[in-house]
Amino acid sequence: MSQQVEQVSKWIYAGLWGVMTRWFRVPDRPPALPSAVGESVESFKPAIGFLNYLKLQFWVGLLAIDGAILLAWIAITIAKPVWGLILLAPALFLAIAPDIVVYLAIHLRYDTTWYVLSDRSLRIRRGIWIIHETTITFENIQNVTVRQGPLQRWFGIANVSIDTAGGGGQQPHGQSNPWQASHCGLIEGVADAHRIRGLIMSRLGQSRTAGLGDEDLNSRSSTWSSEQVATLREIRDLIAAST
Amino acid sequence: MATNTEFHFDPKSIKRPVESLARYYGLVSLLSGPFFPFAFVPLYLKYMTLRYQFDESGVSMSWGILFKREIHLTYRRIQDIHLTQNILQRWMGLATVAIQTASGSAGPEMSIEGVLQADALRDYLYRQMRGARGEKEATSHEPAQDASADEPLVLLREIRDLLKARSLSEGRPS
Repeated sequence: MSQQVEQVSKWIYAGLWGVMTRWFRVPDRPPALPSAVGESVESFKPAIGFLNYLKLQFWVGLLAIDGAILLAWIAITIAKPVWGLILLAPALFLAIAPDIVVYLAIHLRYDTTWYVLSDRSLRIRRGIWIIHETTITFENIQNVTVRQGPLQRWFGIANVSIDTAGGGGQQPHGQSNPWQASHCGLIEGVADAHRIRGLIMSRLGQSRTAGLGDEDLNSRSSTWSSEQVATLREIRDLIAAST
Repeated sequence: MATNTEFHFDPKSIKRPVESLARYYGLVSLLSGPFFPFAFVPLYLKYMTLRYQFDESGVSMSWGILFKREIHLTYRRIQDIHLTQNILQRWMGLATVAIQTASGSAGPEMSIEGVLQADALRDYLYRQMRGARGEKEATSHEPAQDASADEPLVLLREIRDLLKARSLSEGRPS
C-alpha cells in the first residue's frame, strides 16, 4: 500500500516537474560553466540531509498551524455546533491545501538548486519562479564563512557563504535574505562543507592579488624599460671594445 | 548547441535592447493596475533611449532623456555576475544580467536587460573577468617575466666582469 502511494506521488511529482520545465521554462539540467580542456568541473545539489532539514521545518510548522486551526474549529463547534458543521469544509481546506503546496515547493526548491565548482570559479543557481544564477571567480573571493546550526548539525549539513569585495550595506551577514545578497554567494545545505571551504581557500592562497580588479603581475613586472636594457648593452659593448 | 551560439555571439553588435523588452516593460507595468501610465512611461522612455557599447576592455550603457545616465565599467573590475530570469522573462526569452564591481552600493552597478542571448553574454563577460583564464596567463607571463627581469642582470654582471678584468689587467686592484 505504502509502496503504491509512493509510486503515485512519484508520478504526480514527475508530472509537475514536466509542467515546470515545459511551460514554466525551468531548466532541467544543471548549469554549465565555460571551462578549459582538462579542467575539472563538478556540479552538485545540496545534500539529502538538506531536504530532510527543510521537511522537518515543514512538519513543525504544519503541526503548529494545523493545531491552531483544529483548536479554533473545536472551540467554534462547542460554542455553536451549526457553525462548526458549516466551517468544517473550509477549515479542512485551510489545513490541508497550503501544506501540499509547501511540501511540493520544498521538493522543487531542492531540485532547482545547483552548485557548480570549477578550478577557477563557482556558479550557484537557485529559485523556482525567479531563477537566479550567480557566478564568482575564486580570484575575487575575499572570505569564506561556514555556518552550522544545531539542527543542521543533526542532519550533517552546513552553509558555506562566499563573500566578494564591496558593500551592500542593507544586508547584515546571515540576516534578512542572503540569497539575493549582492556580493555574496551562498552554498546552502552541503554535507562536505569543509572540503568545499578547503578547496576554495587553497585557490585563494594561490592567488597573488587582492581580488579588487588588480591588473596582472606581468604589467608591472619589468622594472627595466627596453631602452634602459639597450643602453646597458651599449655600455657593455663599449667596455668590451675598449679592453 | 551551447557552443554553437557562443561561437556566433558577438557582443560588440549589441547596441540596442530587443523589442520584446518594451513588451516586457508593458506587462510589468500592468501589474501596477491603475497606475499603469506612471509605471509604463518611464520604463518605455528608458527602453527608447537605452544604448549599449561593448568594447575590448569594458562595457558602457546609457539611458534617459531629461536625466541622462551613463555607466562605464571595465571587465577586469567585475566582481560577480548575476543572471536573473523571472517567469515572464523566461517566456519572452529575456533575462537580466547584473554586473557588480567592488563598490559599496547595495544594488548591482549595471543591469543589462533586453539581450536575447543572455547566457552567451554572461559567459562572454565571465571569460573577461579576472581569474577566469588563469592557466593561460600563468604559463605565458611567468617565463616572460623571468626573461625580462634577467636580461638587465645578465648585462650588469657582464659589465662588472669586464671592468674587473680590465682593472686587473691594468694592475690596480679595485
